[in-house]
This record gives sequence, structure tokens and C-alpha cells, in this order.
Amino acid sequence: MQVYSVPKSIKKDSKFTFCSGCDHGLAIKLVAQVLDELNLREKTLAVASSGCSVFLYNFLDVDCIESPHGRAAAVATGAKRAFRAQKQDRFVFTYQGDGDFASIGLGESIHSALRGENISIICINNTNYGMTGGQMGPTSTMGQITTTSPLGRNEYYHGYPIKAAEHIALCDGTCFSARCALFDIKNIINTKKQIKHAFECQIKGLGFSFVEILSSCPTNWRLSPKDAHKKIENEISKIYPIGIFKDKTNDN
Amino acid sequence: MSEKQLLKGNIAIAKAALEAGCKCYFGYPITPQSEIGEFLSLEMQKLDLGYVCAESEIGAINMALGATATGTKALVSSSSCAISLMQEALSYAASDELPIVLVNVMRAGPGQGYIYPSQGDYNQATVGGGNGDYHTIVLSPSSVEECALMTYRAFYLSQKYKNPVILLVDGFLGQMAEGVELVKNPYPEIDNSSWILSGANNRDSRKIHSLEPNQDKLNNHIRNLSAKYKEIEKNEVDYEKYLCDDAEIIITAFGSLARAAKEVCNHYRKKGVRIGLFRPKTLWPFPYQELGELSKKIKIFVDIEMNLGQMLKDVKLALSSGAKVSFIGKPVGDWLKLEEMIQGIENIIKENQVASL
Repeated sequence: MQVYSVPKSIKKDSKFTFCSGCDHGLAIKLVAQVLDELNLREKTLAVASSGCSVFLYNFLDVDCIESPHGRAAAVATGAKRAFRAQKQDRFVFTYQGDGDFASIGLGESIHSALRGENISIICINNTNYGMTGGQMGPTSTMGQITTTSPLGRNEYYHGYPIKAAEHIALCDGTCFSARCALFDIKNIINTKKQIKHAFECQIKGLGFSFVEILSSCPTNWRLSPKDAHKKIENEISKIYPIGIFKDKTNDN
Repeated sequence: MSEKQLLKGNIAIAKAALEAGCKCYFGYPITPQSEIGEFLSLEMQKLDLGYVCAESEIGAINMALGATATGTKALVSSSSCAISLMQEALSYAASDELPIVLVNVMRAGPGQGYIYPSQGDYNQATVGGGNGDYHTIVLSPSSVEECALMTYRAFYLSQKYKNPVILLVDGFLGQMAEGVELVKNPYPEIDNSSWILSGANNRDSRKIHSLEPNQDKLNNHIRNLSAKYKEIEKNEVDYEKYLCDDAEIIITAFGSLARAAKEVCNHYRKKGVRIGLFRPKTLWPFPYQELGELSKKIKIFVDIEMNLGQMLKDVKLALSSGAKVSFIGKPVGDWLKLEEMIQGIENIIKENQVASL
């Protein structure tokens, strides 16, 4: 009896290239499973961004475009509007890091939510700029030591981090905004459920859907994969609470 | 679309874009090009096409990246300082080989400058304001009718070469109204089915990306782009010659200023001085060879621009030895008047002892 198979939305013979213990691989697998379950593979355009998240297109066996740093929501907006203008029913989502989504691309991100663009966004929040070597990002937590906050982030010198899922929930055009994590089985199952729900919002044409995933970055956090997950469970998820901040599908 | 209409250059561009099959427009307001977005906002909504009042010019040009990747014709328009904001995405579009059509209705710079007419963006458009080895095709209309014709051409060339095309319009032309008869789009559709992203249905999945960690692949990619640019240089150079055959002096000018320069030619022809005009219609690729050919027998050139001599360097590169070029220009403000140009040329005639017939 077969209990597991690689999702068909994952490229055959793709080799894992992320750092050991990095949650990107798991997040991408969950996205692929949901694409399979909703029969979206053949009608999907994925928008990858800059940073570690760009490697999405090396793993997903769907059409992908890479966007300039921070512009994924704008690229997805253009693609989705174009498909609509061509009377083509297509599924468009972005896969971005927190720096991409909530720092350099915050304008594009917030405004696509406000316009209620019928796209979905997966945002990997690992509280630092991973690819460039672990600098302080928009989501780095108070006290977090990074290569550009060597004495720890503080309110006077660096200011405060952004809570993306809560901010996006405030936008009238947002249909769904949730935060989840991947540090244990229960949370992995929940994350997949939220991704699926977000994608279904787009399929139903309900507007902007957003899932922020608290993810580990053991290399830059200087922690073992196991301790990195513990840090998310015990510290990070207390600062960035796991939950659903808006769900229009519950209205009526 | 056959009756004569009184149209601004901006509206002619918008109408021609629709006629060319443009299905998406992304923009952000800036004078002196806002009429393009205003006109299309209603027309595109009526046709249920893709129109977005973007949050910024950066958003607008990136929306065009996404739209053109799906095989949909998309237009972005803006002006000078805001075109500067778009250079990153333009560099991506060149690398990704995406057929974005970008209209720059120029105002005066640098920086915010002002909405006065100017031709100050020649360098940015032709050399490229973004990073890396790339080129955008640059078309330069000189009348409202040409605004429409070159919009058709911009969409055609962008599709043919999978390359961004800039329609470089001076603010004067964008705002100026004249009677035009809009013809139908004369260009054929280009098959894009081999590369567009429309879902991996009955084919392998595709990716469009500029990131390339493999050094050899990146080298090859840039060399392939370069080979394409050489093809464009070979095939698509376009220019107009006016009274050049027997001329003793050739004026070089582009855009609407070239029309005024024709009047200078006419003025001197009446006085028996044989002056002609050479007008590049493609600023990139620049007609080096054709201008160089002219300079083998004609040795006196006068470059006239509404800037401090940006095309001048290309003119100099084109001229063969023994030919010399003078410059008349100003960076901003009222368009160069006929009298100003004539005054400038009067001096050049004296200096070079050109005799009237």
C-alpha cells in the first residue's frame, strides 16, 4: 500500500537545495499538495520573488515567473488582470519572503489587498533576510540579534517589526488573512488547511487571500533545525500569534 | 476608424493601442501624459479589459511584466522622472524578453523638473536607465498621425523581438491636437504560443526568470540577447530624409522639433540655400550607417534638439571623417522658434561660407 507520493506539482528528480532544517521545502511541498488537490496545476501561474523564495520555480512543476524584489503582488495583479481580459480562467499566486512582501514590496502588497485583487499570497516569515546572510528584516523581533542588529533589535535604534497578517486583514479588499507555522505535525496540517482555504477564496473569486507562514532559518539563527522549531513554538509564535485574522467566507 | 478626427497625440496613442489589440493598461498619473490613462480608463472598463490605476509607477510597470508574460498585449505610459522609477523592471523585461510597450511623454528634468516640453530623455531611452547589457527599441514620432502609427509599430516590434519598446514622445506632441485619419493596424499578429505562461496544460511547465546563478548560462543568455539586438539593428532602423539629395547642409533632429526643422529647410530653399533634414524615426537602433553615408558627400551638419545635445553624440559617431556638426538647442521651455533656429543656422552658413545659389 502506498502511503505517500511526491505531489505531481513538484518537478520530478528535483533536489533539495535549501539549508538543512529550512522550512521552505516543507512550505513548497504543502503548496504543491494543495495545487494537486484542487486540480490547479495546469492552470496555475506562480510568481516567485527575490531571496530564498525565488527557488520556488526550481521545485514547482507549474508555469512560473520571477518578479523583481518586492514586486510579486504587482506582477501577479498584472497576470491575473490579463487572464481575465483574455477570458481565461487561471490561478495566480505569489510565494514571497517577509522582506519581499512586507518591506521593499509593502506598497504593492497592501495596495493589491486594498484593490481586492483576486490573487493568493504565501509569505514565508523567517524574521530575517535569509539569502543575503541574516540581516535584520521588517519582521525581526525585538531583541533579535542579526548581522545588522548585532546588539539586538531595539525600539529606539531600529524601531518595531510589522505584523503582516494583521495589517492585511485590515484591508477591505482582503477575503482571507491567516498566520500559521510548521514546527510540529498539528501546525503543518493546519498550515496546509489555511493554504487550501486561501486558494479556494481565489477560485470562488472572493478577492485577496493571504497566508503568512512562520518558518525556521537555522543557518542564520545559528541554531540546530530542532532548536529553530522550538524557538518558533516558544518565542516567535507568541509575538506573531497563529490564527485567522479575517475570513469573509464566514460572513453570512 | 477612417474619418478625420481632431486628436491630441496622447489620445491618438491610446486609440491606436486599443486598435493594436492592447488588452491591459497600467499607469499612475503624471503630466503631460495623463490623457492616455484617462481615455483608456473608460474604454477599457466598457470592454471589460485589464485597467489598473496602480499604486505607483513601480507597481504599474511590474503589472505589465505579469500581463505580458501571459501573452497579453499591455501598455504603460508615464513621463520622465516617473520613467526613471521604472528602469529596474525595464531591465527585467529586457532580460525576461517580455514585450512591454512603454510610452514616455517627456517633460523637463533632471529630477522633478517641470511639465515644460523637453527632449531630455534621449540618453535614458537609448542607452538604457536600468542595469546590465540590454537595449530597448525606441521609436520617435513627430506628428499626431505618427503617434498612432508608431504605437502600432511598437506593439508589433515588441512582439516580433520579445523586447520592450519605448515610444518617446515630447510633451509638445502629446498635448498638441491636429486632424488625423487613423488607419487600421497594418501589422500581423505574432505567434507567441511557444513561450507564454498560460498554465502547463499538455506541455512542460515554463519559467521566465532573469536570475541565473550558472555563470555559463548567464553568459550565453546575455550573448543571445546581444545577437537579437544585432538583428534589430540590421532590420529595423527607420529614418526620414527631407530634401537631402542636393543639400549642402543637413539638419539632424527628432520628434516634433524635426517638423519645425523642415520649415527651416523650406525657408532657406526659398533663399537658394540648400538645406535638408535627416530625422531618425528609430532612436535605437540609430541610423548610423545611413547618416554616415550622407556625410560622405555632405560635410556640414547641424544638430537641433530640445536638450543640451544628447543625440549629438550619436550624430558624431555616425559622421564620416571630414564632416563636422554644430549644435543648436536649449534644454527646456518654449519650443525652439523658427527664428531661433534660423539665427543659429545663419551663423553656421557664415562660418562655413556656404554660398546661396
